[in-house]
Amino acid sequence: MDEGAERILEVKNIMVGYKVYEGELKVLREVSFYVLKGEKVGIIGESACGKTTAMKTVMRILPSNSIVWGGQVLYKGKNMLAMSKKDVTSLRKHNLSMIFQDPSSALNPVFKIRQQMYDIIKYSSDERLTKEEIHERAIHYLKEAALPEVERILDSYPFQLSGGMKQRVNIAMSLVSARELLIADEPGTALDVTIEDQIMRLLKTIVEREHISIILITHSLGVVKGFVDRVYVMYAGTIVEVAPTKSLFSNPLHPYTRMLMDSVPRLIGGGVPEGIPGVVPSYLDPPKGCRFITRCPFRMDVCGQSPPDLREIDQGHYVACYLYNEGRS
Amino acid sequence: MSALMEISGLKKYFKTRAGIVKAVDDISFEIEEGSIMGLVGESGSGKTTVGNMIIGVYRPTSGIIKYKGEDISKFGEKRPKWLRKDIQMVFQNPASSLNPKRTVRQSLALPISIHRPGAPVTKTIYDLMDIVDLPTEFIDRYPDELGGGEKQLVAIARALATEPTFIVLDEPTSALDVSIQGKIINILMKLRKEFGLSYLFITHNLSLMSNVADTVAIMYLGKIKEVARTEEFFRQPLHPYTKLLLSSIPVITDDEERLKPQKIPNIGEISGALHIPKGCSFHPRCPFAWELCEDVDPPLLDLSKGHLCSCHLYSSGSDSSAAQKSQVSE
Repeated sequence: MDEGAERILEVKNIMVGYKVYEGELKVLREVSFYVLKGEKVGIIGESACGKTTAMKTVMRILPSNSIVWGGQVLYKGKNMLAMSKKDVTSLRKHNLSMIFQDPSSALNPVFKIRQQMYDIIKYSSDERLTKEEIHERAIHYLKEAALPEVERILDSYPFQLSGGMKQRVNIAMSLVSARELLIADEPGTALDVTIEDQIMRLLKTIVEREHISIILITHSLGVVKGFVDRVYVMYAGTIVEVAPTKSLFSNPLHPYTRMLMDSVPRLIGGGVPEGIPGVVPSYLDPPKGCRFITRCPFRMDVCGQSPPDLREIDQGHYVACYLYNEGRS
Repeated sequence: MSALMEISGLKKYFKTRAGIVKAVDDISFEIEEGSIMGLVGESGSGKTTVGNMIIGVYRPTSGIIKYKGEDISKFGEKRPKWLRKDIQMVFQNPASSLNPKRTVRQSLALPISIHRPGAPVTKTIYDLMDIVDLPTEFIDRYPDELGGGEKQLVAIARALATEPTFIVLDEPTSALDVSIQGKIINILMKLRKEFGLSYLFITHNLSLMSNVADTVAIMYLGKIKEVARTEEFFRQPLHPYTKLLLSSIPVITDDEERLKPQKIPNIGEISGALHIPKGCSFHPRCPFAWELCEDVDPPLLDLSKGHLCSCHLYSSGSDSSAAQKSQVSE
């Protein structure tokens, strides 16, 4: 990836949480990441690690009980968190969009695809379009998502389509407005492995051809490896490691990354690894220092005192872990 | 080793308003005592229906399920007590398979009091929790107060409470994070050794099967397409569908990448069970299909010492011509 490329999205130190009955869930702690123009970025981590919360913050679609304590979401240099609703809407109309994990619940079950597709096209266009123009565009986007028999698809209700088809429709819908940045939240997880493979290939072809930047959220290391240029590893609302994909897989540094990789059963056999003992800590009262401390076999005194900073260990390869503080300065 | 479970000609058809759904259509396989059979397939392939017939949720439309030499399909949904004790099941989603209004103690006490009369209930519960590595202080907790992995351990303990010999595992870890999966699987493996259990492991995860199963069977639209001992299965997959599945798996190491068969063009999707294609049900997606495949469903043939495959590439004429054909098309 060209280092001089423009940072289309830059998230700086966002602190986000939720207000619940028991108190405040402090989910994201100073999360920062960026995406270059045309770059494919992966964010990986277990469930409840804050991946989706981070993306919802970017899209400004956090639920009403959320709290944003601080940080910036810069879209081409403008802070989205301080933008007016109108400006954010305009961004969502023309620049960025999101694909969700469950293709069924992302579509409205009581309207035909035609209605839903037309609505989105009307919404994201500033001029008044004629019926024919709207229809033409709908066909165009559905074809771009490699859907066969587009007229039949337009006349179907979501339940009449298979999971893979529904996800393709979602991709088509997101393409209407994601001309610059696409956020894909586990786009293949709910699908069978052969269909997931098709969907990931399709997404890759589209974003590379159209030069769209993409953030891929997933818990699957395998999917990340075959798809993205750069990976952020997230654990309990913190970024613990950032690296170019190749570097991450050839030389994982953070104990969490290493243990996560070791947990994946290998196709070549050799027994099932033990996984990572313990669970993600509660966000009501998360550890003060490194949040992986409760599960880390290498923990030291210093880990509990203050959070480790991300340090560059190799070119573009950063890790937030005290194990790498000594011996390299 | 003898076969603990022998399934032959098993069918399950569902009558629906739209027509007959052939969920399971004439499948046969054996599970040896103390072994693990991995039943792998995409959603809609009928693998869970097979599990449900073994456990007695559905009465088969036809076919025989022989357990310890006795045909148990004849009992239908009304099974004798010994059988319900012998065969247990662990479901995919522990959040919905455990009663949210019952504590761990209550969930475990019921099967003990029914199937093990006279056993000291509380002590047995503690023993069970110990066996599955659950901290005993969880005994009075509700499912909501447990993590996903812990809930699944309760479900496993509940299955063990009747002292079964055979357990149907229906995707026991696919709702869990990979970091937790290992613990659950390893406990299941330990239990098998300790109690001489046999498992039917229903899953879509071939990487996992490579590590745990003794035999792997591939299902597609209600039929078995390929069966082989695990080592043979991964070393030399035969059926184009198996190759497609294996080549679609996202892997993380180069060793695994090398094991994957050559990339097979990945087109189309599994058809609905109402409209199963004529001939070989996989032919619309198969890059090697020719006229024969559209008309005749290939039989499941033993190609080499227990490696069964249902594909015309291997059934027409001698092995060499079949191999050639596959070479040419590739």
